[in-house]
Amino acid sequence: METLELKQELKEKIIEFLNLIDVKPGDIKDDQPLFGEGLGLDSIDSIELIVLLDRHYGIKIKDPKEGRKILVDINTMVDFIEKNRTN
Amino acid sequence: MFYIHHTVCISPQNTFLEVDLEQLINCSENKLYAKDFPVDGIPTALLRRMGKAVKLGVASSLPLFKFYDKLDGIIIGTANGGMEDCIKFLNQIMQYEEGVLTPTNFVQSTPNAVASQLGFLSKNNGYNITHVHRGLSFENAIIDVGMLLEDYPDNKYLVGGIDEISTYNFNIDYLCGYVKKENINNNNLYNCNTEGSIAGEGVAMFVVNNNSVGATSKFRALETIHTTDEKELQAVFHKFLYDNLSENESIDLFLSGENGDRRYTSTCESIEAMVNVDVPVARYKHMSGEFRTASAFALWVSNYIIQIQHIPTHMLKKNKQRKETNNIIIYNNYQGFQHSFMLISKNN
Amino acid sequence: MTKVYVSGLGIITSIGDSLESNRTGLIEGKCGIDPLDFFSTKYAESLLFGEIKLSNNQLKDSLEIKEPGISRTSLLALHAMNQAIIDAGLTALDFARRDTALIIANTVGGMCLTDELYQDANQHDVGSEYISSYDCGSVGIFLQARFGIKGIVNTINTACSSSANAIMYGSRLIKKGLAKKVIIGGTDSLAKFTINGFNSLHILSPGLCAPFDNNRNGLNLGEGAAFLVLEGEKDIGNKKIVAEVKGYANANDAFHPSTLSENGDGPFLAMEKALTCADLKPSDIDFINTHGTGTENNDEVESKAMIKLFNTKIPPFTSTKSNIGHTLGASGAIEAVYCILNLLHQEIYPSLNFKEVITSTGLIPEQLYYKTKLKNVMSNSFGFGGNCSSLIFSKV
Repeated sequence: METLELKQELKEKIIEFLNLIDVKPGDIKDDQPLFGEGLGLDSIDSIELIVLLDRHYGIKIKDPKEGRKILVDINTMVDFIEKNRTN
Repeated sequence: MFYIHHTVCISPQNTFLEVDLEQLINCSENKLYAKDFPVDGIPTALLRRMGKAVKLGVASSLPLFKFYDKLDGIIIGTANGGMEDCIKFLNQIMQYEEGVLTPTNFVQSTPNAVASQLGFLSKNNGYNITHVHRGLSFENAIIDVGMLLEDYPDNKYLVGGIDEISTYNFNIDYLCGYVKKENINNNNLYNCNTEGSIAGEGVAMFVVNNNSVGATSKFRALETIHTTDEKELQAVFHKFLYDNLSENESIDLFLSGENGDRRYTSTCESIEAMVNVDVPVARYKHMSGEFRTASAFALWVSNYIIQIQHIPTHMLKKNKQRKETNNIIIYNNYQGFQHSFMLISKNN
Repeated sequence: MTKVYVSGLGIITSIGDSLESNRTGLIEGKCGIDPLDFFSTKYAESLLFGEIKLSNNQLKDSLEIKEPGISRTSLLALHAMNQAIIDAGLTALDFARRDTALIIANTVGGMCLTDELYQDANQHDVGSEYISSYDCGSVGIFLQARFGIKGIVNTINTACSSSANAIMYGSRLIKKGLAKKVIIGGTDSLAKFTINGFNSLHILSPGLCAPFDNNRNGLNLGEGAAFLVLEGEKDIGNKKIVAEVKGYANANDAFHPSTLSENGDGPFLAMEKALTCADLKPSDIDFINTHGTGTENNDEVESKAMIKLFNTKIPPFTSTKSNIGHTLGASGAIEAVYCILNLLHQEIYPSLNFKEVITSTGLIPEQLYYKTKLKNVMSNSFGFGGNCSSLIFSKV
């Protein structure tokens, strides 16, 4: 899968998984911080995103703290997925 | 005990925003779902996680928070609050065989999710509690707030009852025999002569305090009992009337918790028969459906009847409405073994 | 206003099925947290639990339960309730009175029956024997019917603070004259629902929990039940009194659904208001049974709240969750019973698994058993949704 395609797919999956009402994929910039000021996600969302990575890309992250280093923005997530996905 | 000030009700009938109880909204497949309600006041960051019960609780309370700078506590009665999320989490457990699971359903499934979200949204550090005793969940919330107001007479509290029909709740209730096997119209609920009732859902919230100024009604007394013995129940009601109504006071309306389940009709009627034969008798579960905190709807409707001094025709079972409806007795019967009596009067 | 006394106790946990065996276990620093023997879960291989080493059939046999549909949560409750009512000398005549109340707390209800609930909730066929036993109210309804209790009956679920709130509610019923005797119980059994729920939040320890330790890494789930019988000063007569319920309070943290605020507003307010209710000063508290789950969030926040309230004079404290794990809805009642044991025997039990102090707070739990003068003891319970409760018991 092309990187651009993966970014689009990831945005759609994030919106669906986290039930982000009123957010469209086009609203999420690739370098916009996911947590804090940017998209405004919180600690429970970080756990949910770890589950998303497991269910959709077969990547297991055991420790949420490790997860936060990867879950910075779409770019870092896509980069990580491309390197580590198992499905 | 205390005065009822602001109230809100989201139910299967027109009880929210524009209130119109004359029009009876019908059930569908024995379910009376709450009417759609606006959720714009709820921050999307929270809304996206909320199950229906929590949305009902929050959407109904937000208008009340606007009126009050500070409420001193939040007391909720809900038997199944969050059950839908509970079962969703359970489904995840089964589907993924206890693997990697998302936590939102778990966090939202605790019955105290409603009270805690309300506390969070109103930044309320006061007393916060959730009573979950099935058909007496709301009644215990009332007992609780009554005690609080005795200790803190200057305080104001939010007290309410809430429950939702979730697919899963409904399946369990159906298997328990709480819901009729045959599909009916709710305007025919009391004539079926079959077992079970129709399922309902909703929320009724009340801001209560000890200040009579501006209050529509006064909540005067409450008794509860677990029993399947009619004689025992009658003795409790007899004492309730004796203890709480003075000799020159009349009952202007007996609001019965009959729910169309033929197993409990005779009990309800035996209690009904204990008030004077000329007392108007009305029923409410054809409007709300049967659910564990339906008595909160009954209290809301009673307060509303006192306010507008009118009883919708479809509610009346016996006798015409009196010139003045000042004292209302509400009797609730949950599955024939959990009973409550409430006395509410017009605030003069 | 009338004083509220405790006249009876009952308890079952992973370190004992009676008051005496629990006390012995606490004195000896016994840890009931170990691999599962009965409960079936994928996590039996990897996690430790405070499981009561009695199967459901063993419990049913000892309690002479023959009827179907009684969940483990109810069985544990019945075990502890039987002890408490005997201890308090209650009879059938007492139960039948309109001024005898029953207040139950639990979070699991019949949801320990994952497979049955899954089947019943998802299909329209014939229900299992547990069909009306899933909700939290089912335990109280079972006990009310079994004993014929005719006063106020209630069930409270505010997550981990449930039974502390039940003790508070029961005490207030007595003070307001709505009950003369109140039987209060907290109970919870292990369930896939809570195991997987806490696991999904990554707050279960992979080993043994280490409350207040700098390297703590989560909690252990446990199960258990504890009952207390409360009676008012006016009506208790010549009965033995094991303790006074001196004060109590509940406050809402109002910060986040599953984590406490950094400064512990909720915990602080609950403790402060409990002192006010008891008409006591911080310096009057001789010991604290903390909530102390062993999670990063709770122990740091609870420490900060204690420092804010007690300043440099923090009373000795421990976490009995290091012995039996976090028993959720039962924890408030179990820890109340433990506090009363502290008072009855004028002793402190060691907190387990502590090695290194939390750098940011510097508080050290008691790690040895010793006898000491105790007059007023505080017990804290902080739940999901920021529901924080604090109880104070006093020696009589």
